[in-house]
Amino acid sequence: MKRQIPMLILSAVGTLLVVSVFIPSARHWQEDASLYFDIIAVFAFFLGGGNLIRVHTEKVNRKSTGWIYSVVTLLGFGIMLVTGLFKIGNPNGIAGDLSQTGSYFQLLFQYVMSPLNSTMYALLAFYVASASYRAFRAKNTEATILLVAAFVILLGRTALGVLLTNWIPAQLSVLQIPNLAIWIMNAPNLAGQRAIMIGISLGVISMSLRLLLGIERSYLGGDN
Amino acid sequence: MDSAIIGTWLAALLTLGIMSFLYKDNLYYKICEAIFIGISAGLWFITYFWDSLYRIAWIGVVHEGRYVLLGGVVLGVMMLMRLFGKIGWIARWPLAFIVGATAGLKMMVYFTTNAMAQIHGTVNDTMAAFGGSGLYDVVGRIVILIGTVTGLVYFYFSKEHKGLFGGVAKVGTWFLMITFGASFGYTVMSRMSLLLGRIDFLLTDWLKLVK
Amino acid sequence: MLALLRIAKLVVFISSSLFVISLLPTHSVHSQDASPSGSNLGPITVRAHDTDNDAGGSVTVEWDDPGYEKMSGFAGFLIWRTNTLTGTSDSVEVTPFGTHSYDDRSVSDDSTYSYLVAALVNSERVMSAPSMQVRSAKQWFDSRLTWVLILGLIICGAVIYFIESAKRGTKLFLRRIAGLEAIDEAVGRATEMGRPILFVAGIQDMDDVQTIAGLTILGSIARTVAEYDTKINMPVRASLVMTAARETIKHAYVTAGRPDAYNDDMVHYVTDEQFGFVAAVDGIMVRERPAACFFLGAFFAESLIMAETGNSIGAIQVAGTAMPAQLPFFVAACDYTLIGEELFAASAYLSGEPRQLGSLKGADVGKAIAMIVILVGVIATTIASAWNSESMLWIENLLRKMFSTG
Repeated sequence: MKRQIPMLILSAVGTLLVVSVFIPSARHWQEDASLYFDIIAVFAFFLGGGNLIRVHTEKVNRKSTGWIYSVVTLLGFGIMLVTGLFKIGNPNGIAGDLSQTGSYFQLLFQYVMSPLNSTMYALLAFYVASASYRAFRAKNTEATILLVAAFVILLGRTALGVLLTNWIPAQLSVLQIPNLAIWIMNAPNLAGQRAIMIGISLGVISMSLRLLLGIERSYLGGDN
Repeated sequence: MDSAIIGTWLAALLTLGIMSFLYKDNLYYKICEAIFIGISAGLWFITYFWDSLYRIAWIGVVHEGRYVLLGGVVLGVMMLMRLFGKIGWIARWPLAFIVGATAGLKMMVYFTTNAMAQIHGTVNDTMAAFGGSGLYDVVGRIVILIGTVTGLVYFYFSKEHKGLFGGVAKVGTWFLMITFGASFGYTVMSRMSLLLGRIDFLLTDWLKLVK
Repeated sequence: MLALLRIAKLVVFISSSLFVISLLPTHSVHSQDASPSGSNLGPITVRAHDTDNDAGGSVTVEWDDPGYEKMSGFAGFLIWRTNTLTGTSDSVEVTPFGTHSYDDRSVSDDSTYSYLVAALVNSERVMSAPSMQVRSAKQWFDSRLTWVLILGLIICGAVIYFIESAKRGTKLFLRRIAGLEAIDEAVGRATEMGRPILFVAGIQDMDDVQTIAGLTILGSIARTVAEYDTKINMPVRASLVMTAARETIKHAYVTAGRPDAYNDDMVHYVTDEQFGFVAAVDGIMVRERPAACFFLGAFFAESLIMAETGNSIGAIQVAGTAMPAQLPFFVAACDYTLIGEELFAASAYLSGEPRQLGSLKGADVGKAIAMIVILVGVIATTIASAWNSESMLWIENLLRKMFSTG
């Protein structure tokens, strides 16, 4: 029973939304489902946020390893909650826009969140370099093909790529690195992308049908 | 002191803290990580609260009279039943709603945009990309055709990749490797530019070494 | 003599009358006013009909322009609507240059309407005759999606057929997928080393089908983890995923006969912020040093950060995603990668359940259809363009129409 009703809900909702794609007057169901999801996600956040507070509070209480960082996390969470809920420092008070210029919420976003985000993103430069270094040690045909394609595309977007092959005559201009890069993007790369995307769509259909038919149900738990 | 100066110093210190992870895990990084988690979790809660709970649920139901949204509120409250052990199983109902909605919607979205549009594109855009009758265009079309078909053969699950079929699947693998290599090479430069952005901030806005 | 004079007067009278009559302007049934001074353009013909494939409340107005757009001083076409039930009239829209149709979405299905279109040239309005009366209505089926429905039913039918076939005991062969075979090995390694496994079901919420795919795989992995008594650490970015993941893992432990070993803290919420989550996952990896890392779901730019960090701690890494842009990074940094469709097939593979395996066979039918259509389509397109073959052109157009989604 504890599983049957959720299964019925899942199948009914899924089927209705599939059908709504074909019926013009039912298309708004998709938007309603999306709004329902947004609302449910907010309520679920109380569970997630509550879990965050509980886990870190327990760490502090037990003085587990790294409890000091949990204090920092809880402080950060609390400060953001207070400044955002009561819109502290907001020129128009609580009725104003949340991220109005000058509000503490906006300042925290601009000088704390944004630089942290940008820096984590910037770390990718180092990681892509280390991944490239590992890829250079191509040990088989497939890795070599990946490496060569990456190299051509990379060089094709630089002045060095132009310099390396501008001696190639016009009749064989497709072998010049920039042109070769364009051809690789337009032909074999496009072909591979298409094969991946067609495969993905069929995989999604297959998995969605398993879900709608109730064959796949591990995420709903058991009868406990 | 001007909030902009304090803010710039704070931003710079946080930037350096995150970058210190590249050396190794350390106290400085751990503090920055903790700040990041706390501030960002709070930010998202506030955004959810004002944008979803207040604007959609409260304004939508109470002020705009969109009573259909009450269904979402009811499901949301059911979600919270997870906190109560004995009736926690009720939380499966909104979960089932979401999984069903996702399965139903995405099935059609992926079918039309990924499958049908890509097949349409392979037949249609092949002519756009290589629309002439010269050798370059003919070879390009043949490559797209071979690549797409052999790539699909690679994803075939119900036949062993042996013999001729295995050979075709192998060719498909090579096309996939070219695709991955192309993606990899394409994004390297953009990743580098992200780092340059942060270095520019540190040298220009913080230390004012560069004008 | 007098008779001759009278005949001459009659002839003059008749010819002058004819001359005067020839100077009078002509009127057609469909136009009301003369064209702007100096032009000889014909009337604007207006047609109005219910907008196709909609939910009602919309009328499409189309008109032919006899040449007003090319006149200097042309400012647009004014659309005028009359509600024939109430008798009220109002202007609806002025359409820009080059537009000869307009969807009027402010009508009611309960009224009938008639439309006029006026060309605005300098300060003059050249009105058309009114269109026939029209009433908007909703359509119950979007006919533009007919082929989507047909092809969708074929593929779904194939999937269901093979599911039923598998239920009846038909044996289905499935090829090896290295990444899935490595899962048991990875969990076993973690158990031997006494280190936990790390599972990340992507960074998207439950409204992404890849997250659901990741959670279905989690179910299989969690059963192995429960049997081996390995620790599992699953940080999540979305609270809904936390709830679903807890249900999944708890069910796995109960099925493995070890309900007491389950702990809710195996799955913990971190933050909704993408890079904040990644920072935390990196921290978990370097501090707890999991022996096996599973990245299965939807990822964006952070995929490389996590995969490289996992590499640096020497963990076995199995990744899978249907984000084509992130696959190269997983392929480069992880030991095994499930590419696109393999992610969705994984849970069926791992369960070994015949009905689930049957669904994979059905997906293969879809791939076969795609391959055949592509082969036929590209060959037809090439021959049609090279040799102007009508039959090939017909095939090409049919395939384009079938797979057009608009």
